[in-house]
Amino acid sequence: MADGAPTEEFLELTGGRVHLLRAGTGEPVLFLHAAGGAGVWHPFHQAIADAGFEVLAPDHPGFGKSDEFPEVEAIDDLVYHYLDVMDALGLARPHVVGASFGGWIAAELAVHSPHRIGSLTLLSAAGLRIPEHPVTDIFLLPPAKLVATLYHDPPAAPLTPSPDAPPDLDAVIAAYREATSLARFSWVPYLSDPKLERRLGRISAPALVVAPSDDRLIPVEHARRYAARIPGAAYAEVPDCGHAMYFERPAEFAAKVTGHLSKHSLSAHPLAAAESGASR
Amino acid sequence: MKFSFFHLMPYPYLPDDFDTAYDSCALTYPNANFDPALGSALYARYLDELEYADQLGFDGIAVNEHHQSAYGLMPSPNLMAAALTRRTSRARIMVLGNAIGIRGNPLRVAEEIAMLDLMSGGRIDSGFVRGIGWEYFGHSINPVKSRSRFNEAHDLIIKAWTSPELFSWYGESYEYRYVNLWPRPLQQPHPPIYIPGAGSAETMKFCAERKYTYMSVYAPTRIVRRWFDGYRQAAADLGYVPDPERIAFSVPIYVADTDERAHAEGRPVIEWLYHKGLRQTPEMVTPPGYMSPGSLRGVLSSGMRGLGVSSYEDLLASGQAVVGSPASVAERLGTLYAELGGFGQLIGLFAIGPSTHEQVMRSTELFATEVMPVLRPLGTKAEVSPGAST
Repeated sequence: MADGAPTEEFLELTGGRVHLLRAGTGEPVLFLHAAGGAGVWHPFHQAIADAGFEVLAPDHPGFGKSDEFPEVEAIDDLVYHYLDVMDALGLARPHVVGASFGGWIAAELAVHSPHRIGSLTLLSAAGLRIPEHPVTDIFLLPPAKLVATLYHDPPAAPLTPSPDAPPDLDAVIAAYREATSLARFSWVPYLSDPKLERRLGRISAPALVVAPSDDRLIPVEHARRYAARIPGAAYAEVPDCGHAMYFERPAEFAAKVTGHLSKHSLSAHPLAAAESGASR
Repeated sequence: MKFSFFHLMPYPYLPDDFDTAYDSCALTYPNANFDPALGSALYARYLDELEYADQLGFDGIAVNEHHQSAYGLMPSPNLMAAALTRRTSRARIMVLGNAIGIRGNPLRVAEEIAMLDLMSGGRIDSGFVRGIGWEYFGHSINPVKSRSRFNEAHDLIIKAWTSPELFSWYGESYEYRYVNLWPRPLQQPHPPIYIPGAGSAETMKFCAERKYTYMSVYAPTRIVRRWFDGYRQAAADLGYVPDPERIAFSVPIYVADTDERAHAEGRPVIEWLYHKGLRQTPEMVTPPGYMSPGSLRGVLSSGMRGLGVSSYEDLLASGQAVVGSPASVAERLGTLYAELGGFGQLIGLFAIGPSTHEQVMRSTELFATEVMPVLRPLGTKAEVSPGAST
């Protein structure tokens, strides 16, 4: 890992501050995190940076160290929020990579402003309503079952403290805050926008849809539906992996992502010449 | 002191393996376990018990709203209140309350309470509750919006009851271009309002500002004392001393002829309520956004334990249930009265678990004839010094 730790910064927007991690040099990659993982710089992120990209990983409103942005109430508000974030960062047409909840935001962003997306990568994205393959209710899962749901092969060491350990009050409150933010955007319709599927044809960026083979939270049919509806989308599965994705198989997920980003360099795009100098 | 008979209308027929097989008797507890024939008989029996309390001289008879649960079989408290309007004549009919946080159309609540008030000859007390955690799952209402929906629905209902002219309503959750209530309620300006509190300073202030009755829910005496003091302080901050009737203590009660018999019969009833009826996972109790992070911190650091873990003895000692002979119950309630700094209404939960009809009737009768007269003089004056009880 050439550069080591990412830099940490705060973007000042009208509605509050956005916390952001950044590392690497090269074409910009906007990474939109899952419901878990805000503010976490994982070897997966570093691997993308090491492959020659500048990775920018903001925390969503009400997650990690970002402010609440109470006026961001629903998925459409999140789209406008991220257009603001892209403008503030000077990102005219970045690569956009989204995981799970962040994948939903990425897909909505690409539907809303197809011309602002250099390439799109969806990692087991939420966002579709497929009644015959419902998403597990993450809000009702107790912590022990959550781990079993997220991993193909749940780690032996418990990720949550034993019931006998004194509760870390700050950690409990922080987790409740993030769950509250997720619920704000996705309690009902549950983790989906019923109109999204029929809008996916608007996406013009080269797209890759990746699914872990054993996703017990968002059934793999969701990824397949995305791949079928996004024009020209490629599809890949990572075997022996659960919804935790890059927490369970970091190298495999990083390889899929960097392969797609490298194949679809922003400079090869017809708009690139017109944009040169316009972006940062 | 005013006394109310509160019926939870439980479905007590849980399977023998309930404790190991199920997380809760709500939300996901299979409705295949509901026997409609038994349910039909329960409704008839439970309404009889409420009507009997009216005949015995209780000041109020109370029903509430719960959904998708064996804990309580009243998805619509207003239906039960409607049944009671025709076969009772004295007691106030207390709807404690309509869960306006989860209702899709709060104007309907204003209409139904107005109807009930007319049908009962002005005997309706109208409680408003947010609805409990699992109901936000069950009725697919975003718990993040719970408090704002509650506040907006409350404001809309009060205005609908009291506005002498048609008005329009443009709110965060509700929009009505024509609010023009027909019929209007009999009581003026509107039926008395009851709000349950569970420690929120915001709720205490809300009630004190409007002189609403503030009622306790399941909690140990030391915590209910904090809530009542908070309400009294909120009133003091506004420059007045609340009428004792505005403070209502609600508690499960079981009375039998002797202490021995009361505990033998009451123990399984109290244990059913706390260990089965109220058994829930933390995720059901506190869905995201149902509490603010600050309130959650307050609850977690207050040392309140989960409802399912307290033993029968702990529940009695902490004032979360009162069981005994009439003399023992009167004495215990007098003690709690002093420990809580006084209250002017006692809302007794007399029908809460697998008790038989005969047991409920007897417990209710003993309370009315032998306990109420002893406690009646309490709670009529505002200032109560500790130890003033009998």
